[in-house]
Amino acid sequence: MSLANPPLPARWRPIRLLTNGALLITGVYLILVVIYAATEASALSAYSIESLLNNSLPLMLAAAGQTFVILQGGFDLSVAGVISLANVIVAVVPVEGPWGALANFAMVVGIGLAVGAVNGLAVAYLRIQSIAATLATMMICKGISLLILQAPGGYVSEFMAYELTGSLFGQVSVAALIALAVALVWVVFRRTNTGLALFAVGRDANAAALSGINVRRTRFIAFCWAGVFYGAAGYMLAAQTSTGNPAAGDPFLLLCFAAVALGGTSFSGGAGGVIASLMGAATLMLMQKVLFSTGVSSFYTGVFQGTVMIVAVLLMTLVHMASRQRRAQR
Amino acid sequence: MSVDQRLGEAGRMPADTRGTSRLSGETVTIGVIFALTVAMILGSRVISPAFGGWNQAETILYLASFLVFCSFGQGLVILVRGLDLSIASVITLGGVLTTTWLAGDNGDLVFILPAILVVCTLVGVASGIGVSLLKVPPFIMTMATGIIVYSLCLGVTRGTPRGYPAPVLNDVMRAELAGLPVPILVLAAFVAGGFLLQSYSTYGRRLYAVGNNPAAAHVVGLPTVRVTIGAYAISALCAGFTGIMLASYANGATLRMGDDYLLPSIAAVVVGGSSILGGKGNFLGTVGGAILLTTLATILSALGIEQGWKTIVEGGVILFALMVLREQVYEALRTWMGSERR
Repeated sequence: MSLANPPLPARWRPIRLLTNGALLITGVYLILVVIYAATEASALSAYSIESLLNNSLPLMLAAAGQTFVILQGGFDLSVAGVISLANVIVAVVPVEGPWGALANFAMVVGIGLAVGAVNGLAVAYLRIQSIAATLATMMICKGISLLILQAPGGYVSEFMAYELTGSLFGQVSVAALIALAVALVWVVFRRTNTGLALFAVGRDANAAALSGINVRRTRFIAFCWAGVFYGAAGYMLAAQTSTGNPAAGDPFLLLCFAAVALGGTSFSGGAGGVIASLMGAATLMLMQKVLFSTGVSSFYTGVFQGTVMIVAVLLMTLVHMASRQRRAQR
Repeated sequence: MSVDQRLGEAGRMPADTRGTSRLSGETVTIGVIFALTVAMILGSRVISPAFGGWNQAETILYLASFLVFCSFGQGLVILVRGLDLSIASVITLGGVLTTTWLAGDNGDLVFILPAILVVCTLVGVASGIGVSLLKVPPFIMTMATGIIVYSLCLGVTRGTPRGYPAPVLNDVMRAELAGLPVPILVLAAFVAGGFLLQSYSTYGRRLYAVGNNPAAAHVVGLPTVRVTIGAYAISALCAGFTGIMLASYANGATLRMGDDYLLPSIAAVVVGGSSILGGKGNFLGTVGGAILLTTLATILSALGIEQGWKTIVEGGVILFALMVLREQVYEALRTWMGSERR
């Protein structure tokens, strides 16, 4: 495969693929928006847009975190555990006021970072298979959430429940701003040494190591970033539902992988990006609304979701192949 | 930082194993897992004198059989560098079809049971085609087929599966033969058959070849596409079989009956020493992993501790097993044994 690839500077190849994936999924998203607007009269009202963004944000954050791990070449199942744990903690120890919200945020990010560090240690330094190690940490996190809160309950601080799910100056949705901030963080990160190393390690760990990249450290950092994003996802989920649930993270396990795949990030590592995953997650959530608004029986929404997932991935593979061929001919 | 450290996994020299007894890591893993299981069963006598006996071992084997059936298929798919996330839905499909098509009647059992297995196998064929021909990542493909199948089960049953499996099936699940429950005999036959298929048949060797290096397997002329589709088909077949057995055991089907088997099936395969990256593993290890996980769950339930602690301990044991059963530990052991001898 490497022989067939054009002699592009290695540094630019992943970035170009990323723009490809991100653009494609944004196109799919816009098509869905048009369908949604055509079938649902109130689709473009400020309230409807705000609630859609609020619904999508937790999955977007989770998918953003997962992307880091997938880019270095692995899977992170601990996403479900960390989201549950963060969600439960915010609902059990709510601190009022904006500073309280910040304190809560620091707590969950700390927890996410800690779990991410454990995953990173196990995978990068002890060289345990990522899917297995994170399965174990996921179970441990779920267990701890169950110990903290046996059944759904608790309440989050008023500031979190109202301000973080509202709009700034009644105009700009806070959720949209957060998503934008994540995209900005990624744009900066991928240009740092660690960011470039992440792609190199995912592409070919041996080559990366031989060119002087610290493979273990890169993998470790990827898991830490992922944990931080999962913590934030659990936090925003709590803000949105304004309650805690020890099983809150379960639906995110498969959905966040679907979101990453929709964004066109390669599951073998080394190609893709966070912005594409953010759009993938937003598309998945919008798809549910569209299926509802077009009157698909709620029993059968899964059939459409599954089909759209396969078709979207196929479409992206086709475009990637086409663009690769064009470049090869050049 | 030294060069060696910086090289990480890339530049490591394999340990020198010349002249040492070549006890393969696989054999050690399987031995350790079974020893752990037996130790746990015997050790549970501490909790209550009723435990630790043959009766308890029988119960555990009985309960573990469901996990072993679906883990076999999961193991084959993992062997060819895949992952089958549709297992939960296909188990549900098998169970729902068993209760709705049989509807508590023995009449057409001989036709209906194969029909159910064929329907389930077709789901696997669909996943296999998506993965091998259309190049959809296994994770996405099997998750998508799983969601579709589940949604169809939900729609057709309108949320509540009705009906019962054939009485004969219930009787089979309770019957005993030569002092052993029939399901345990089925389990023994399944394990023997599965082991032979994976480790000694031509098809099994092809699975390893494709899993180790798909490109090389293709170059030497192996039908890699067919081999891959076969793995997914067998996985779905096994999941469907698990569904039939579960529905017969519980005398009914629910839409969530497969959920408890998806992650444990992956855990059983990985704890059993297979590589999630494919090309390496042994069915006996998976069987050991499945029995170990079931033993752990049974003992923890018997202890009556909180669900939270139970989950934590289960996760901890998986993590511990993974740390102990690493390849490097064997390598270190082997080098150590080697240097002792010299």
